[in-house]
Amino acid sequence: MGHQISRRTLFRTASGLAAAGALGSALTACGGGTGAGSANDRLTMTWWGSDERHAAYKKALAAFQKKNSAIEIEERYSGYDGYFDKFNTNVAGGSAPDLLQMDTALVAQYARKGVLAPLDSYVGKSLDLTGFSRTLLAAGTVDGKLYGVPSGIGVNQLTVNRSGLEKLGLDFPDPEWTWADLKKISVDIHKKSGGKIYGTDDVGGGALQAFEIFAREKGEQLFSADGKKLGFTSDTLQEWWEYWADLRRADACPPPAVTSAAHNDLTKNAVVIGKALFTFDTGVYGAGGSITDATLDFLPTPQGDWSGAREGNYVNGGVLLSATKASKRVADSVKIVSYLAQDPTAIKDMQLLRGIPPTEKARDLIKAGLNDTDRRNLAMADHISSRVAKASDVLDAPQPPPQGADQIWDLLFQSNLSIAFGRTTVKSQLGRFFDQAAGILSA
Amino acid sequence: MSMTTAQTDEVVKEPPAPATPSDERERERMRRRLARKRGGGWWPYVFLAPWFVGLFGLTIYPMLDSLYLSFTKFDLLTSPEWIGAGNYDRMFTEDPVFWDSVRATLLYVVVSVPLKLALALGVAILLNRPLRGIGLYRAAFYLPSLLGGAVAVAIVWRQVFGGDGLFNDVLGWFGITGQDWISSPDTALYTLVLLAVWQFGTPMVIFLAGLKQLPKDVYEAAAIDGASPVTRFFRITLPLLTPIVFFNVVLQIIDAFKTFTPAFVVSNGTGGPLNSTMLYSLYLYKKGFTDLQMGYASALAWVLFLVIAGFTAVNFVAGRYWVHYDD
Repeated sequence: MGHQISRRTLFRTASGLAAAGALGSALTACGGGTGAGSANDRLTMTWWGSDERHAAYKKALAAFQKKNSAIEIEERYSGYDGYFDKFNTNVAGGSAPDLLQMDTALVAQYARKGVLAPLDSYVGKSLDLTGFSRTLLAAGTVDGKLYGVPSGIGVNQLTVNRSGLEKLGLDFPDPEWTWADLKKISVDIHKKSGGKIYGTDDVGGGALQAFEIFAREKGEQLFSADGKKLGFTSDTLQEWWEYWADLRRADACPPPAVTSAAHNDLTKNAVVIGKALFTFDTGVYGAGGSITDATLDFLPTPQGDWSGAREGNYVNGGVLLSATKASKRVADSVKIVSYLAQDPTAIKDMQLLRGIPPTEKARDLIKAGLNDTDRRNLAMADHISSRVAKASDVLDAPQPPPQGADQIWDLLFQSNLSIAFGRTTVKSQLGRFFDQAAGILSA
Repeated sequence: MSMTTAQTDEVVKEPPAPATPSDERERERMRRRLARKRGGGWWPYVFLAPWFVGLFGLTIYPMLDSLYLSFTKFDLLTSPEWIGAGNYDRMFTEDPVFWDSVRATLLYVVVSVPLKLALALGVAILLNRPLRGIGLYRAAFYLPSLLGGAVAVAIVWRQVFGGDGLFNDVLGWFGITGQDWISSPDTALYTLVLLAVWQFGTPMVIFLAGLKQLPKDVYEAAAIDGASPVTRFFRITLPLLTPIVFFNVVLQIIDAFKTFTPAFVVSNGTGGPLNSTMLYSLYLYKKGFTDLQMGYASALAWVLFLVIAGFTAVNFVAGRYWVHYDD
């Protein structure tokens, strides 16, 4: 033993050093964040979506670049998971993209924080919005200014496994169906399939739009006009949760483990794995239909069957395209947005991959090239929007949701799951839900 | 043996004879050489600079910054706003998810660390034998640790323990109907524990190195005295190995507290079902990067820092009573 270091010193020092190193990294993980910044002068554009949407964007952008050789575009695309985490980090680090696909649910939050550029001064000049309706543009309008251009008309539709229904010898429901009809056919599906298939996926905690439409049928919005409070009553939420608890008891919708597994994971969706025939998750069809072999058809969200029930549907803006305020290339970004909205080739490339095109002209252009599923989807969307247009009792389309809204969705989901797993009751969860929601919205 | 080395260390070297005042030139040369040797001026610091830049720029500054941010409301996009101890107050008094994550993390640490260390020690003892191709076995047992931290393995885990996963297929051979282990709040955390335990390779290698150092003569003496293998393990192996056990315990506890990747991937970023896999680091990440509450996330990070520091301090103090150094 030539060295003077004893075993004691060695181990204690080593343990101490390792501990210090490990500890330090716990803290610094949260402190860093240097912006990479783009070294070149290319315009960066980000979007989320399915493979089909990626391909369509790339094709359309390549055509754009042929005509505008001065604008070079760097494309960054991914799935929805983590898309906004990454965007947040980039903005904080000073390397925000110039142009991005924006979620209608988040546009108000980012616009009010000064992240997005208002586009009003370009409208009618380099930004051609001919054929866009005012109600549609509202989806990208915050505090009177336009921060995002809607890519398409969105109406909420249930996706139905049509071939599954036929196999069980059940009739395809009438589009004017009610919540009671949904329960009845779901119970029938479970019985006729010998208990192998449930009727619908459990959306007591979301898909969010399902609950929103239910609340609107009651004459309530999700949020108060100023976005500081919830806009629906405890009675409405109680009735909603009890409806789904009732469906679970009747085996009309799957047990909570299936619901939990499908959270944030389209590949585990009840319709995709063949455990249900109806899903409120629009993503199943949004993925280009490639995710399931079933023949898909569509239905509106069921109507209220109580007296005084209103039309609950509304037309929203699909996804938005927004430019960032820090970008020096807003004018170029606007050119791209305008091109995607109006150029016939771009419209044909995109088909229904960013929602149903917002203008008559665009809808006419794509009709010929659509497959049967797309055609059915378009027809049902037309049916719903004309119903909304005709209804006299329909509430205004909701405002872009306030900051914290996504935490409220999460709370809604967790609450319903907690009830479904038997960890709590509807009654006691109601109090907790409203307490926590108030805390989130006032933070 | 170490006593002798300690003594040699005490020997004082004779100081060099002082230069005579008459020899001016020699003195001057001496002074210069000393200056070169001692001062060296700034050269050492130039060579150390990259490390200093890293230390201050990537560790100390971000740490202090996060301490400051923990007293602010900061959404990452606009400037931080000072709110005093508001974040800490909220954490302990009005955030139920914080307590869910504390519960999940403590359970994870308390269950996974002892299991992992016990398995690591057991396998290390089995691999500490002169078998043919022992190197191959050692590599094979270490392999999961190389893979285990990877996202890919966590994704496989999600598949294996899902409702129609491999694990349930295997249970099916024995006539047992499994459930969806990942999606049940009662079992989800234990799939993460299993994943952690499966990566026992690193502590195993350290145990193995420790076992190889144990003096053989003690075992021979014990065997001659008729001590059984079990007695030899508890009376010789374990006591002699305590410094290594200590080292592994400290490291594994810290690691377990900081676990992020498997929880993130296996729960698909949700920490669900019902926050049962909401490990602390995952919650911290969600608050900071998804909910844009970076001030609150910084406060969470400092609480984690203090808790880990506390656990480590307790370990070091408790170690005095059970760790035996043979010197």
